[in-house]
Amino acid sequence: MLVKTAIRTLIVAALVIAPFAVTSPYYLHLLVTIAIFAIVALGLDIVFGYTGEVSIGHAALFGIGAYTAGCLVMHFDLGFWPSIVLGPIVAAAFGGLLALPALRVTGPYLAMVTLAFGTIVQILINETVDLTNGPLGIKLNTPFFLDLRDYGDTWSILDMSLKRMRDVEYFYVTGIALLLAVLVINRITASRFGRAFEALRDAPIACDCMAVSVYRHKVMAFIISAAFAGFGGVLFAFSEQYIAPNTFSFDLSVQFLLAVTMGGRKSRLGPILGATIVVFLPNILADIALFRIVVGVIAAIALCVGLYAVLRRRDLLPKLAPPVALCILFFVLALTMRSITDFRLSIFGLMILFVVYFLPDGIVGAAKILLRQITPAFRKRHASTQAEGEASHAITVTTDAVSADALLEVRTAVMQFGGLRALDKVDLAVTAGTIHGLIGPNGSGKSTMMNLLSGIYTPTSGEILFEGRSIAGLGSSQIAGRGIARTFQNVQLFGELTLLENVLVGLHHSYKSTLLDVVLRLPRAIREERAARQRAADILSFVGLRDRADEEARNLPYGKQRLLEIGRALALDPKLLLLDEPAAGLTAPDIADLIAIIKAIRARGISVILIEHHMDVVMGLCDVITVLDFGQKIAEGQAAAVQANPRVVEAYLGGAVAA
Amino acid sequence: MNILAQLIVSGIVVGMIYGVIAFGYQLTFSTSKTLNFGQGEALTLGALVGLSLVWFLTARGLGIGLAYIVMLPLVLMFGLAQGAVVERLGVRQAIKNKSEAGWIMATIALGIIFRNIAENLWGRDALKFPSPLPEIAIVVGPVRIQPMEVVIVLGALAMMLAVEAFNRKSIFGKAVVATASDRDAAGLMGINTGLVITFSYALSSMAAAFAGVLIAPITLAGATMGGVLGLKAFAVAIIGGLSSGLGVVVGGLILGITETFTGYYISTGYKDVPGLVLLLLVLALKPTGLFGKAVIKKV
Repeated sequence: MLVKTAIRTLIVAALVIAPFAVTSPYYLHLLVTIAIFAIVALGLDIVFGYTGEVSIGHAALFGIGAYTAGCLVMHFDLGFWPSIVLGPIVAAAFGGLLALPALRVTGPYLAMVTLAFGTIVQILINETVDLTNGPLGIKLNTPFFLDLRDYGDTWSILDMSLKRMRDVEYFYVTGIALLLAVLVINRITASRFGRAFEALRDAPIACDCMAVSVYRHKVMAFIISAAFAGFGGVLFAFSEQYIAPNTFSFDLSVQFLLAVTMGGRKSRLGPILGATIVVFLPNILADIALFRIVVGVIAAIALCVGLYAVLRRRDLLPKLAPPVALCILFFVLALTMRSITDFRLSIFGLMILFVVYFLPDGIVGAAKILLRQITPAFRKRHASTQAEGEASHAITVTTDAVSADALLEVRTAVMQFGGLRALDKVDLAVTAGTIHGLIGPNGSGKSTMMNLLSGIYTPTSGEILFEGRSIAGLGSSQIAGRGIARTFQNVQLFGELTLLENVLVGLHHSYKSTLLDVVLRLPRAIREERAARQRAADILSFVGLRDRADEEARNLPYGKQRLLEIGRALALDPKLLLLDEPAAGLTAPDIADLIAIIKAIRARGISVILIEHHMDVVMGLCDVITVLDFGQKIAEGQAAAVQANPRVVEAYLGGAVAA
Repeated sequence: MNILAQLIVSGIVVGMIYGVIAFGYQLTFSTSKTLNFGQGEALTLGALVGLSLVWFLTARGLGIGLAYIVMLPLVLMFGLAQGAVVERLGVRQAIKNKSEAGWIMATIALGIIFRNIAENLWGRDALKFPSPLPEIAIVVGPVRIQPMEVVIVLGALAMMLAVEAFNRKSIFGKAVVATASDRDAAGLMGINTGLVITFSYALSSMAAAFAGVLIAPITLAGATMGGVLGLKAFAVAIIGGLSSGLGVVVGGLILGITETFTGYYISTGYKDVPGLVLLLLVLALKPTGLFGKAVIKKV
């Protein structure tokens, strides 16, 4: 915490005094460019770092922002303020146009589409001469807001010619813009939206089943990101005073990506650091002497850091040796090279490869990891939840009266996979407030039924009615929204989120605050977040994990992970909870806890469908049991009746020897 | 009417080139769920290496036709090697780390490096690739077609059929198919899936290099020739479906013909636009591509 505050204060202080220290207009302009690139990189980080999708078209979105400004100036004689509002909006609109189709499928599609988009935008800017002035580009003026020379003599200590004044003022404008961008992104990433972005990357299916639509949130992340690119573009146009299509090329898109990866994803400092490097890079690569010095310094730093780390922890040697050796080798190479201008792009490419291989978490990420490994005391700390609550209020059911009618009714459901009929005309009726067991040998169709009920599969034919309404054919997140929550046979937690955050993702539905509320930190957003954290803590108490709330979920032992999954599902305020083998892999004491929890869940009026192979659990808990075999229902009834049913015995133990 | 037929024929020729490159994407995507973002540069290098070989051979007194034929297997071998290098340097590590972004960044970086090397070795200007066939158009009814264009269409088809036949008939091809349908299971059956993925990259780059030497005689060869072609092939692969062999041929033809029509009826400047529009339309309407199959996700 302390380190963070110190870094923040330092950055702000540096921004304030920079124009007094940097008197060269060239370097001041470079600082402005860094701030602008940092804004774009920070925006790109939302897509690239958080959701894990790759965009190779951010230069084009950046260009769209810049050209929005250019066109407003050229055609309508409008200036900075209209542009700074419209630029992000236009870029966001284009972002939506790309993301809506491209994110419907998982895979490298967004990268491919944005790459194509980047090229097309350049072509279009060149071609639509009437609108954009084509290859000739557009000239605009840096805005001038206040003539500070009117405000006394304090300014006369510095050279304050009109031009310098303008430069300094614009520097502050971009500086403030950068701080604003950091603030907004901090707020978004700390909100339920940021959690959703991270969650969908870790476990997309589970995310959908928590009523958090993966698709919608990916699109949203991309649109936010595009808006930041457009915002940066407007600032860029007014800073450069001239824009031409060639600037917004594929190479620029790759530079933005490099800035985020090299600096470090999922942080504010990382993209800013990366942007600084990327902006300075052409200068370094233009001058062989400077290039050698920089490469030398990097090699020296790598050597020192490597040596220090290895002296503290010998086992780090094999991991650290190759990158350090490569840095030194590169320095030797730099000494032997006579000219670098021809190999600029190759060096750029080698940098990307180096980052991908040895700095996958970026400079900031690597520094954190190193610090943590060398000094175990430096651990990631999460905002702790102070509120202590009454566990009993944590779980609520929204159905007022527990009616005797069927909560869920499956009618002649068929699920066909090619030639395999995994479910063959199965009927199932779950009465509200009961625990309904679903058993059968492996491959009998139990999990298929779960996937059908939670919308992961769409039934080939048949009907599924939940509270009297058909849910067959709805998406997972819609079904989850109606009140069906589930756990998974192979645990699917959001590994990098804390336990509390995992449950908070489940509580996503309980928020009403919009993105705007979050960004402006309106009281509603603050209130809701506080309430949700309180409830999440209560739910963790309910499943007995309250004391580990701030640990990362992936560090939990297996048994506890299953309990956390149940907690996360309960956060959805479900009317029906699907438990897919919750006791699998659990130790005996854990199973006892589990049984108590499931009973408590029923006591609160939540109906449960339970798939389980531990027969003692099933027989002890279930009000009704349905037995499946080879996709067909072979028996149904109360525990004792099912146990006595000869067909069930046959399914489990094999047929009787031919009589 | 005349012009219509002519446009369709020209579209088919361009479309087949797109198809071959997209076919390369498909090969690697099926085995590893990754593809080479520097595929265009594989095409560039193939064409330029081919050009140097043709220069070398004709300088030794070989006729241009013979030189072209001798050059072909060498370029194909170069393509194989180049693809293997891309996989080893760019993709393997990323697959191991399960990092989605890693292989995209790495193949882009390798593409940039290859382009830079090509610029340094062959210069920044586009070079004339001597045509192995007479450059006199054959007139078939209303259509004028260059002999080399016929070779492009036939060559492209032959290349795809050869690879398909190899995958279906040979035992190693079966390993490729097995890896494509389930990498983990194939690995458990003793198939060296790493090698199969390397091999698919090698084949993919070979296809691109082949496309390079096919198209260079009717355009020009240069360091930047591949970039846009690689990009168009993205569109083709998505339009046709990344999982369908027939898809890339049909997708290529659709895109090629749309482009020549746009170029003629609207403006050559907008020739590249329909690719993206088609791409977005297909993704919006049928995300798995026109010929793709929906994959059922496992939970």
